[in-house]
Amino acid sequence: MQRFEFPRFEFVGRFARNRGALVGACLILVVALMAVFASVFFPTDPLRIVGLPELWPGEDPEFPLGTDSLGRDILSMIVHGARATLLIGLFASAVATIIGVGVGAIAGYFGGWVDEISMRVAELFQTIPNLIFVLTIVVILGSTLTNIVIAIGIVSWTPIARMTRAEFLSLRDREFVQACRSMGMSDLRIIVSEILPNALPPVIVLSSLVVAGAILFESAVSFLGLGDPNVASWGRLVGDGRQLIRSSWYICAIPGIAIMITVLCLNLVGDGLNDALNPKLRDR
Amino acid sequence: MAGELVSPTPALRGSARRTAALRLLRRRLIQAVPLMLGVVIINFCLIQMAPGSFLELMTAENQVSDPATVALLRKTYGLDDPVWMQLLKYIWALLHFDFGFSYRQNMPVIQAIWIHLPATVLLMVSSIALAVSIGVAAGVVASMKVRTFWDSLVSIAAMFFYAAPSFWLGIMMIVLFSVKLGWLPVGGMMKIGGASSGTWAGVLDILRHLILPTLALGLFYAAIYTRVMRSSMLEVAQLDFVRTARAKGLSRNKVTIHHVLRNALLPVVTILGVQMGTVLAGSVVIESVFSWPGVGSLLFDSVSSRNYPVVLSIMVLGSLVVIAANIAVDLIYMWLDPRIEIR
Repeated sequence: MQRFEFPRFEFVGRFARNRGALVGACLILVVALMAVFASVFFPTDPLRIVGLPELWPGEDPEFPLGTDSLGRDILSMIVHGARATLLIGLFASAVATIIGVGVGAIAGYFGGWVDEISMRVAELFQTIPNLIFVLTIVVILGSTLTNIVIAIGIVSWTPIARMTRAEFLSLRDREFVQACRSMGMSDLRIIVSEILPNALPPVIVLSSLVVAGAILFESAVSFLGLGDPNVASWGRLVGDGRQLIRSSWYICAIPGIAIMITVLCLNLVGDGLNDALNPKLRDR
Repeated sequence: MAGELVSPTPALRGSARRTAALRLLRRRLIQAVPLMLGVVIINFCLIQMAPGSFLELMTAENQVSDPATVALLRKTYGLDDPVWMQLLKYIWALLHFDFGFSYRQNMPVIQAIWIHLPATVLLMVSSIALAVSIGVAAGVVASMKVRTFWDSLVSIAAMFFYAAPSFWLGIMMIVLFSVKLGWLPVGGMMKIGGASSGTWAGVLDILRHLILPTLALGLFYAAIYTRVMRSSMLEVAQLDFVRTARAKGLSRNKVTIHHVLRNALLPVVTILGVQMGTVLAGSVVIESVFSWPGVGSLLFDSVSSRNYPVVLSIMVLGSLVVIAANIAVDLIYMWLDPRIEIR
């Protein structure tokens, strides 16, 4: 059973030569470490009042990013918020990837009417305006973290399904698949253990871009005040600071910059992976 | 979806083209029916999945408890019928533009949406116009000066606007242009007690209020179009017919504008149609930031007050808009490139 051997070292080299992608990957690593070790850096509850309200960044060395309207440490809230924001992004992307790969694999492998119906369903989900769909799901089923993650996953799976389908279409008639079929291997086993590993690399790239989109979605939902009330994600911090833009606009600005940098870096990494996987397209 | 490319056929002319367009339109309209049905069924499933009965959802807003009213509503919405019957009735009602009644606005849902529609359409049209003009211009500049300072500048700007959350961008622009500089209004659509919208002063007032929301919503899409346009220009510029045009002795600028640009626009048109829904969805957030009195504000208000009939109707009508936009895009596509036969 021939497997497509991935030229790993060449791939890493190509990725590392892309300066933007490298910087993006490093910054993502910093954000991820922040998220993992949030309670080590800031052991106290980030939502506890620790100082004077509305201290500007740099005004008090104890609070490098200042304090909000209640006197909570903004740096601590950003570090803890990184965990919420990244986890929501990752899980939503995972939900989207599972649905997308499932639908795309079945559509591409079986073809015919299965394919036709799957693609119509994908079209249906692309038709409903995404954020409106998310808001509707969240408002009807409740603003819990699980519902938000699932809702974002439901509106984000279609590109992954299309990509997976295209990969399956191009792989399903290759010799190694025909060999498996002639050996009497079941469809499920061929899909999961033979075609899928070969179809995955471009799908993973797309998933990393879906994480960026999911973070933007979540921040919009939280900003509108419909996020999980127990989770202080970055979007919610922007929303909380909104009332004070006349006097203390930094309360709004800082979490927004955090969102922007994270999304920017995820996009850079996604682009870098894409270029490294498809060297022919690099100059576009 | 727009533009599945089939092998090029000779360009159609005159009446043949019109017939082809009509045939396409008819096929697209027929395809839209199951799509719309799907949206309605998803909608219906959401109602069924909601905790509590449909009736409780409908009346949750203003706590209707009068037994006579509740009985009437039960009968109107056929809650004692089997589920499939309820679905049929729901579809039947929607076909007659009966989207239910909004107690909060004290008017039929469709009327509440209709009142808020013009503001949203204005915001969407201006944002899309801004996004397309900036995106196309920046993409053309970047592709003509590829790998220079200008190319990098455009790419970096596009990257930033692609990553910035639109609501945050909006707030930051309010801080800069409204609070600090005092150039533009903080929000709303017109000055309270100002000139009426029928006069020139009124129109100018609305335009002044429109600038910041348009930028906040449009710059994200401008970033997308810039990237698409740049790569599309570079791709088309390598095709044979461009070399032929250059070989004929046409100047580089002339070739770029007359030959490359027109063909490079096709992907932008496609994305425009696909993204109509996301622009509509994006306007929900932007309208909330700028207190813009459109459908987005209505949706936000309805979501906060759990006014389900309005929320669900906006979802159905929003999908309808997307379908219509996609059909329009296919027709524009055909007009831009007569060789393309769209399935």
